[in-house]
Amino acid sequence: MSNARDQRLARTFVTLADTLVADFDVLDFLGVLTERTVELLEVDAAGVILSDQRGGWRPAAGSSEDAELVEVFAAQTEQGPCVDCAHSGEVVTSDDLIVDTGRWPQFTPAAVGAGFRAACAVPMRLRDEVIGALTLLNTHATAIDGDSIELGRALADVATIGILQQRAVQHEQIVSEQLQATLHHRTVIEQAKGVLAESGGLDMHRAYLVLRAYARAHHRRLSDVARDVATSAVDPAVLLSDPAIVPQG
Amino acid sequence: MVQNRRQWLLDLLAADLANTPASMVALVCERCVLEVSVSGAGATVLSHLPVFGGGGEAQPSRGLVYSTNVVSAGLEDLQLTVGEGPCLDAFASGGPVLVADLAAERTRWPAFTPAACELGAAAVFSFPLQIGVARLGSLDLYRDVPGPLTRLELADALILSDVATDGVVADLDGHSTEDVSWLADPHLQVHQAAGMVQVQLGVSTDLALLRMRGYAFTRGMTLAEVAGQVVARSLRFSHDMDGQ
Repeated sequence: MSNARDQRLARTFVTLADTLVADFDVLDFLGVLTERTVELLEVDAAGVILSDQRGGWRPAAGSSEDAELVEVFAAQTEQGPCVDCAHSGEVVTSDDLIVDTGRWPQFTPAAVGAGFRAACAVPMRLRDEVIGALTLLNTHATAIDGDSIELGRALADVATIGILQQRAVQHEQIVSEQLQATLHHRTVIEQAKGVLAESGGLDMHRAYLVLRAYARAHHRRLSDVARDVATSAVDPAVLLSDPAIVPQG
Repeated sequence: MVQNRRQWLLDLLAADLANTPASMVALVCERCVLEVSVSGAGATVLSHLPVFGGGGEAQPSRGLVYSTNVVSAGLEDLQLTVGEGPCLDAFASGGPVLVADLAAERTRWPAFTPAACELGAAAVFSFPLQIGVARLGSLDLYRDVPGPLTRLELADALILSDVATDGVVADLDGHSTEDVSWLADPHLQVHQAAGMVQVQLGVSTDLALLRMRGYAFTRGMTLAEVAGQVVARSLRFSHDMDGQ
């Protein structure tokens, strides 16, 4: 591993540790984690998929909220390396999705259509249960190396810790409560993105960035700001005209 | 294994409905007792939605919709009376509240716990019926002996709470849908679209969802198709749209 990568790795874990303060927002945390995963593992996109505990999977966070990428993450909750990984509890890779078309006949066209050629899914495990998966996507056909997979495992473990938040896991039921609450907050964020997208004429990615930038500038939890926007407790114009929000993305 | 449970439960409920015409929420409560091995089930629905098309939005009020026995009915009443308990915590956290041993939670709910134990509850499991910020009610299960839900029982309870959520929405807008999978849809556009439509109409998220469902129903479209058009900005909702 190169020195530069070691330094990035150290910075990533410091950032993540800084985020894991009391009362942190789990979806904001997972968003940061996927962004850092992209930098650290030098992949083009990363996402976290969580078990809905009803036999299905749902996207929770991605390195970008770009609509096309979100669709790929949604598609891979039905078929693809992520689902295989969740079922087997093992790392699943495809160095070239086009070669693997027969393996995932529905997922591959969706991923390739969005510009991706290689994928890797790393399980998020808690004891004997797989609660989700960290997925890595590349826009070119490439084999992900052993070092990167090990780092991916470490990041997937950190994601699992983030979902459990500060609660000690005495029993399985707490994991279920936290997973379901996380999925609920994801729904609220989508509703708030819709409100901001419509009010400000923004795309969904930009709407998410406004939401997150506002939460950070005002030291509020992303989920709380999203709830206030979706319930009209705060006027979307307040966020859209906030001088503290630096235009980005 | 778990994958087939949804269809299995939906088939059971369809048969129940054919045998006993009742609200879906009532049928779900009865099925919880049979499939999740609990002693009783109750559902409370928040009735704050105005009659569709009636305009204006009333303040939320709560009313018990159904309970399978007197203990469940008592537990629902109790939470309303003391203003604390698993159902209220479920709304605060956004996820279910699963308490395998209620007697151990005296400090968490000092007023609710002793009275609930007195009523005969030893374990309580509360599932919020909600679609993001749209809070519709709760499904509350209890057991007369302590013990956690197994993974399969939890999956069943979550699926049944989805069915109950869809049932409450269907009761509100009068459009029953064959397919309740939209609540577990990993494609999140339905929720983005609801946020957009609530701005277009100047209404709350739940009313926006009802309008989208109504539009889908009258045109023979799925909710996901309507949502896709809204997010793509090829469909806008207005108060004077036809078919509403």
